[in-house]
Order: sequence, then C-alpha cells, then structure tokens
Amino acid sequence: MSQLDILLIVSRVCFGAFVPLCFIAVCVWMERRGAAFFQDRSGPNRANICGFRAGGLVQNLADAVKLITKEDIIPGHLKHKFYFVLAPCIVFCIAIASFAAIPFADVMKIGGKEYIMQTIPTDLGILWFLALAGFGVYGIILAGWSSHNKYGVLGGLRAAAQVISYEIPMGLAIVSALIVYGTVNLTGIAQFQGQLLFGFIPMWGVVLQPLGAIIFIVAAFAEANRTPFDLAEGESELVAGFHVEYSSMKFGMFFMGEYVAMFTNAAIIVTLYFGGFQIPWLATETLVAYARPLTVLMMLAVPACGWIFCLWMSKNNRSHYAHESDYRDREVAVYTKIVWGIVAAIDIMLFVYLIAASGGDADRVLVMFLQVFTFLIKTTMMCFVYVWVRWTLPRFRYDQLQRLGWQTLLPLSLLNIFITSAVVVALS
Amino acid sequence: MADKVKLFVNGQEVEVESGKNLIDAIGAVGIEIPHLCYHPALGADGNCRMCLVGIEDGRPPIVPACKTKAAEGMKVLLDADHIKKIQHDVMELELINHPIDCPICDQAGECKLQDYYMKYDGQKSRMTVKPVMKAKKLDFGAGVVHDQERCILCARCVRFTRQITKTGELGIVNRTDYARVNIFPGRPLANRYALNVVDLCPVGAMTSSDFRFKQRAWFLTKSPSICQGCSKGCNIFIDHNREKYKDDVIYRYRPRLNEKVNGYFICDEGRMTYKAENDNRLTTGIVSGKETGLSEAVEATRRLISEAKKTVFLVSPNNTLEQMYAIKAFAAEAGAALSGFSDGYIQEGDADGYLIQDDKSANRASFELLGIEGSKDGFDKAVADADLVISFNNDLSKSLAEADLNALLEKAQLVYIGTSLGTCASKAAVALPIASYSEDCGSLINIDQVLQQFAVAVVKNEPAANLIEVVQQLGGSVAGVKEARAGLMESVAALKDVNLEEVPEEGIALTDNEVSNVAA
Amino acid sequence: MSGKVKIMERRGKDLYERVYLIEVFKGMATTFGHFLRNFLDNSKLLVRHYPEQKPEITARWRGRHRLTKHEDGSMKCVACFMCQTNCPAKCIMIEAGERTDGRTEKMPVRFDIDLLECIYCGYCVEACPMDAIRMDTGIFSVTGNERESFVMKLEDLLATPGAFSEEEYKKGGA
Repeated sequence: MSQLDILLIVSRVCFGAFVPLCFIAVCVWMERRGAAFFQDRSGPNRANICGFRAGGLVQNLADAVKLITKEDIIPGHLKHKFYFVLAPCIVFCIAIASFAAIPFADVMKIGGKEYIMQTIPTDLGILWFLALAGFGVYGIILAGWSSHNKYGVLGGLRAAAQVISYEIPMGLAIVSALIVYGTVNLTGIAQFQGQLLFGFIPMWGVVLQPLGAIIFIVAAFAEANRTPFDLAEGESELVAGFHVEYSSMKFGMFFMGEYVAMFTNAAIIVTLYFGGFQIPWLATETLVAYARPLTVLMMLAVPACGWIFCLWMSKNNRSHYAHESDYRDREVAVYTKIVWGIVAAIDIMLFVYLIAASGGDADRVLVMFLQVFTFLIKTTMMCFVYVWVRWTLPRFRYDQLQRLGWQTLLPLSLLNIFITSAVVVALS
Repeated sequence: MADKVKLFVNGQEVEVESGKNLIDAIGAVGIEIPHLCYHPALGADGNCRMCLVGIEDGRPPIVPACKTKAAEGMKVLLDADHIKKIQHDVMELELINHPIDCPICDQAGECKLQDYYMKYDGQKSRMTVKPVMKAKKLDFGAGVVHDQERCILCARCVRFTRQITKTGELGIVNRTDYARVNIFPGRPLANRYALNVVDLCPVGAMTSSDFRFKQRAWFLTKSPSICQGCSKGCNIFIDHNREKYKDDVIYRYRPRLNEKVNGYFICDEGRMTYKAENDNRLTTGIVSGKETGLSEAVEATRRLISEAKKTVFLVSPNNTLEQMYAIKAFAAEAGAALSGFSDGYIQEGDADGYLIQDDKSANRASFELLGIEGSKDGFDKAVADADLVISFNNDLSKSLAEADLNALLEKAQLVYIGTSLGTCASKAAVALPIASYSEDCGSLINIDQVLQQFAVAVVKNEPAANLIEVVQQLGGSVAGVKEARAGLMESVAALKDVNLEEVPEEGIALTDNEVSNVAA
Repeated sequence: MSGKVKIMERRGKDLYERVYLIEVFKGMATTFGHFLRNFLDNSKLLVRHYPEQKPEITARWRGRHRLTKHEDGSMKCVACFMCQTNCPAKCIMIEAGERTDGRTEKMPVRFDIDLLECIYCGYCVEACPMDAIRMDTGIFSVTGNERESFVMKLEDLLATPGAFSEEEYKKGGA
C-alpha cells in the first residue's frame, strides 16, 4: 500500500466522519436563521466572541457549552438504565454511519489506480443506507420504552409505526430508481446521472423518476422524523415524546442525531435524484479535459462571489436603530478582510496550479475538489428544503400520516415501479 | 332543662327556651338580632337601640329585644321595613363620628360595627360637618389602649369593671357627641381581668398593647383549647398563625365560653401564658451540655436508667391525665419511685375567689385520681437513696431552693424531659424536648373536679415529640393517648363510667362518689 | 344570535386541493417569499431590537411595584395588610409597627415583595385603601444574580419614583 493509498483512506474516513459533524452546526444555524427569516424575525444574533457573532454561528457554541454543562439526569425510576443511555448513542452513531456509503466525488484515477470517493468503498450503496436508516429508529423506540414514561412510550410507538409505514414506499421508490440506474452502487448511480438526456437535459433521477423522487423525499422526511412528520415528539400532546426524560448531552445526542440524519438524508436524496456530485452538463471526463479554461473561469468567479457577498454583508450587517457607534461596522470590516483573504488564497492556489501543475494527475485532484464542493452545495440546498418545509407545513394528524403512507404513497410507488419497468423494457 | 316556648319570628314558628331575652333565645336557633351594647354576661343595658324589634301584640310598635323576655305565642318582626330603617338609622348614628380607620384598626375583621355596616347599612356618609375629634391611643393601664374616637359608647367596658371586677375604674364622661369613656385621673385600670374589656369591646376602641398591630384578625387560626395557667382550667381560643417562611406562632389567647368553668372571661395572667409557648423553648436534646438530636438524648437517658441503682420519676401537675398514666405505668415497669412533688407551683393566697386560683398547675387533681404522692416528705424519702431523678416537665427549681437543688444534684443525676429552657434544663445531665400543651392533646381535671379535654392546636414546622411518645421510647409500654385512655377507663375507679374518647366540650364534672355528666 | 354570522367555505374537497402537493408548493412559495425578502434586506424584519429599542410603556402597564408617599415625604402605607390578604401569589410579607412620623398610628416596619413569586396581577393596587402601592414604575424587566436580590424591601419600594404623571396615571383607569 503506497503512501498515497493511506493518505486517501485517512482523508476519506475523515471526510465521512467530520463533514456530517460540521454540518450539524451549519444545519442548526440554517434552521434557526431560516426559521427566523421565514417568520420575519431575525434569529440568533446576540451571542458573540469579542463582538464577533459569525452571523449567529456563535450561538451554537453557546448552546453546546450549555448542553454539556447541564445536569445529566437519569431518572431514578428506570429499570433499564443501560438502554436509556444506549438509545441516544444508537440514534447518533447510526445517523453518522449511514453517510459512509455516499460518494462525494467521482472515482479518482491517480497513477493508474482508481479510488472510490466514499468513506467506505463498498458496493452495497443504497442497501447500506436502507439498512441503517431502518435501524436508526430503534434508538428512538428504545429511548421511549426505557424512559418508563407514558409520553415516551407513545412517542416511541408512533415512531415505530411511522417507520414501518414509510419504509415500504421508500423501498419501492428506490426499486423503481434502481430499475432505471441498473445498479445499487451509489457511485455508479451518480455516474449514470452525468449523462445527458436528448443531448441537453442532465439525466438526473428527478427527471427520469419525478414520481419516485417525490415519494422518496416524502418518505425520507418521515424517516428523519422531521416536520410535518415529527409526531414522535408531538409537543402539544406528548410533551416531547421519546426524549421527554432526557437532559444534557444525552438530549444533545438526539438533537445532533436528528441533524446528522437530516444531512445524510439530504445527501442520499441528492445522490439518487439530483445528480450527486455531478456538475450539470459537465461530466467528469469533460472537466478533466477542460481543466485549464475552467481554472481561469474560476479565478474570475471567486472574486466576483466575494464581492457580491461583501456587498450583501455591508448592507445587511448593520443595526436598524439609533446608536452612537455601531459595533457591527467593525465586524463588517474584519469580515470583508477575511473574505478577500480567502478569495486571494484560492486564486493564488489556482494560479500556482495553472503555472506549475496543470495537466496530469493534478487535474484529477482539482476536479475531485470541484465535485466535493458541488456535492456539499447540493446537500446544503437540500437541507434548506428540509428547513423550508418545516417552517411552512403544519404537523400531520396521526391518522392522516398513516393514510398518506398506506393509501397514497404505497399504491403510487407500486404504480411507479410498473410504469418504470414498462418503459425500461420497451426502450431496451 | 329549661321550658320551651313557641313563638313566631317573621311569621315563622320557632321553639326557643323560655326565660331568656329575645336576643339570646332567638339567637340560639340561629336567627340574629343585631346588638352592640348587650352582652350575656353583662346584662341588658338598652343604650344602643340596635336590637329594636317589632312585636305584634298591642305593645308599643318597637321594643328592645335585649329587655324583652321570650314568651309563648309572641310574634316578633325583624324584617319589616320600619325595623330595617331603625337598624339603618342607628348604624348611621353610630358612624357619624366613627373614624374610618379600619385599615389600621386591630378589630377589623372581628368588628361588630364593620359587620353590621355591611349587613344593615352599606350607605355612604351624609355628614358634611367635621367629625368630633377625640383622643386616640390612650394608655388605660394593664395593657389596655383606648381610642375614644372609635368608641360607640355601648358601655360594655364600664359595666364590666362595675359588675364583674367591681373595681369601677372606667366611666363615661361628658354628654352627646363629646361623651367618651375614660379612667379617673391618675387611676388606671388595675384589676387582674382588665384585658377582657378588649374582647368585650364590639369595636376597636379597646385594644391590647400586647397584641396591637401584631396580626390581622383574619389571618389567625382560632383553635379551642384550655388555659394551663392555673388549676381553674379556663376555656380559651388559641389564636395562632403560620406566616410565610416562618413557624406557627401563637399571638394571643381569648376566652371561650364555658359556663361550667369560667363563663365568658379569663384572667390577664392566663392570657399572657401564651408567651411561654412561643419563647424560651427547649428544642433540641441536650446531653452533658451539648446539643444533640432527640434519639441521642433518648439513648443517653436509657443508658442512665439502666445504670442507675434507684430512679425517681418526678411527675408534673401540668401533665395531662394520659401522660401521668403512661409515666406511672413506666415507673411500675422500670421499678422507679414516683413522686409528684411540686410545691413551687402553688402560690398561697393568690386566689381571688373568682377565676384565679392558688395552684398554678392545671391538673393536680389527677394526682389523687391516680394515687401519685405529691408531698415534700414523700419526695425526700424517695430521693434519699436515689441516684437518678427523671423530671417529666416538672420544674424542680420552682419547688426547691437553689441550695437544696444543688445538694440533690450532687448525689443524683437529673434528666429533664420538658418544654422550656431554664434552670432544670441547664443543670440536667440529659434534657429532652417535648411538645407543649398547645401542640399536644389530653385531659385535665380542674380544681372543681371538672374533667376537660383539649386537642392539638399548633403544629410547629418541626414538631417536638409528645411526652407519651418519649416515655414509650424510653421503654414505657403505653403506646399513645388512645391506649392511655383505655387503660385509664379500665383501671381508675372514678373514670369507670366516663368515656374519655367522647368528653363533651364543656367537660364532665367528677364528684367523689358518683359520675354525673354535666351535659345530661 | 344577533351577531354577524360569516359562513366559511370548507376547503380541501376538490381534486386540486386533494392532490395537496400543489398547495404545499404554493405555501412554500409564500414562505420563501418572506425568506427572500428578509434575506436580501433584513431591515424589513418585523422585530423590535430589544434591548436597544425599548417598548413604550403605557400608564396602565403593571410594572414593578412601588410605595407612594404623601407630599411631605412620609409613606402612605398604613400596614393594613389588604394587599397581603388579597395577593394570590402570597408574595407580599408585611410586619406592622407603631407609626413614628406623626401620621395616624400604624406603619409597616417590614414590607417585602418577592418578585420571583409575584404574578403582577395588580390585585394589591386594587386592594389598597390608601393608594399606597402602585405598579406604575414602568419597570418591566427585573433581573438579578441571586434570589435575595428579587425581594424588594421597604426602602427599595419607597425609593422608586413613578414613571408617569398623576393625570396620566389617573387616566389609565386607576
């Protein structure tokens, strides 16, 4: 095993482990700020370190400190303390592990060797995800049951019934997708979506499988216990549902697990239906072939983005009330310098690449970075959809939830399989 | 049993006792005739005119109810318009000069004038002239503070000093608007029942300097009990209140009607004994000068009892019948001598033939009933060779001179099981706190052989154990008041026919040979 | 019933609405409109930037309590306990004593209001026969670092001035 092999294994595992964790912060921040903007509020904008609020991200830090230092209560009446502690760990670990099979860039060919850009280079792909997603709900059921609390048990039972109802349409939606893609390997699925339909439309899953995409997205929302399907928590009737007895970091694990699951689900939706790491119209080989002109283009685009961002920031990062000296002016000045610093660094790196290393394997690495970037952008946007839906739709009633699962999504997904199969057979 | 007569009130037939005036007779069946100056103990005076009623039998149209005896077939009118107008007008008259300082008046909440205003008057003052100003906050002596402005001249206080105490310190001076109650110059209230005028006063003109501004009347819980200041056993109300974040504290004693014992009044000394219930209380166990918990003190006492060659149990004449029974039973089991020596509780020549008695203990009569020896000789003989004296709330320092007490304590150790701090508690090898009578229940027999019972009135935040419990913890066999009462009814001849579980409120008179229920 | 009756049309029955997704997308378009508007220009947020921008308090607002004084500076309170009696939260604790400033006879020697227990119902103000306690300080935010600091003492209550003129306060319905 060469040094390169080891480096790549380490970096892929780090990516799989840390990117979901980092995105907890991003998702929580996005949820808060998003919720605020959807409701014409301003969201967290007070917590700061030396006056720097990072747009509200520092609030997450404060919350983390709060959760860690809160009293960790294990209720005295519990019979199964071990399961009580185990439950949040299951939720959190499963959520992270299910990210492991998702490709974040195309297969990278360096020095004649091919490297599959997944945390675990497995062919199981979508099956891995399905298995773990189903397992994640065990944590919730276990939490509800071991809490020895009627609200907890009701929350856990709701979660169980909900997962059974929505696993099936989800599985069937995937079946029809698999008929189209002809593989369960997620890298393969993403590569498939790099083709063009009729020569000009990107061959994304959402174009080939619109109904399947909707069914899958709805079921994924339900699987992640997100609004409008968060009946397991149901504040109004179940207090907090399955995590009613949890406090401190054990609650924190549930909390983080929910956001990791949201990120993972967004990633799988992107991979299955929105082209994964593919940049529309620019397949991997095209990118490699046109690496130099693309680099030049990027060297222009990055400062443009920086400029727009700075404009937006100087307009919006200011106090809207009478004040003597706005501390936000200083913030904006510092942020502007940081933004331009980053822009300069990227441009220098691209310039160095252009002068010294273009052509050969460096092109491949550049394309890999571009695809990782694309993948993360797409996933973030999908996460935003999660937030968006949460602050738009009210929660379903429990019977409505079950009716939607069994009477609507299940027949539709079966119909979808039928149509897909017929079309695929007819075309081949 | 008095004869019954039938009469009509507002056309409705009621059966009342004959021979009483209308206020008492009709009041007994729950129909109120408003009155200010009349008081059953002081008789009818007829000066307030509040009790005017109509009687439809050819008499003058209206008569004062306090002066009219209930008679067969009488038709009493209370709700006629002209009667209501009289009540209304009398109220208006009383209120012409009455200051509306209810917010600062201690009587507010138990004030007749206030109640009647709400019930019979309820109109705004029509007075445009300045009210007559009189003296406020006059010190009448004996802890009575008088407010002349509030006075409605019912003369209850004046009549009390003339009829009951026969001292006559108070009188009404001047006339009409300028009439006022006053003492004679330089001669303040100087009788031992003076504070009863505070209770008698229907308004807030007489206030007690001791209770003044301490509490509002409506905050107080009024628990019936029996005064233990002397052997008369006067019936009282214990007025106590637990303020927020504080302990249950007694604020005053008030007399409670028991015609067989004390009537409507109590003496001033008895009234002030509530202070001993609040202050200077023994609250923790003390073992050789160090404060400990109850269990450690009990343990130390048990050890002393087991080590002692001869033990003397010293019973207090303030212990209840049940407590004495439990101690006596324990003494028999432990082989200890029993003494009730408590000469110090008797103040010779203090009695006044009315309520105050020589014997300042509540239950000495029970000694005789249970055969407890109370003489000095008996005590001397018992302690002669004893090396442990256990005092059950008996304050030996009252009965023995200090030198005698010290001499006794040189050869014998003292265990003090009591309620208050003092000489005994400080000299004792072990001191054990117990619940005082306001926190306990039991039976007492007073000097006139009337057996009365009282219940728990005050519950402290950290209640002390009661004496029977402590005796049980020390090794006694009596498990509680119930068991003690059963044992008493079985073993004491005089109590054979008395049901100690159901003693009527006014008590049972025990005579030498026969047991007769007073209530019957 | 004499009032105006408006019969609402029951929605959600026709196919267009039963498909639900279209309505979902319409709803999402609405919320996204708000998001975009606020995202592009956050001066349009419908918020008050508290604590920099304080809300305007009216004379009827029940703020922190104060004890009022006569013109000569002596306190109006006569320790009648009406407020304590009326208080549903039992947060007022008074101890009465002899008056020392020459007016009437009675005054409080201790007058504590535990603001942690107070529910700001204003019953004390209504019960007071002397207009001695008012909630017109305009103080709506009470903060402290320990529990004890929330117990307002007699001096604190007397030291706080009212935030409104007498006419304004009276106009507020007091």
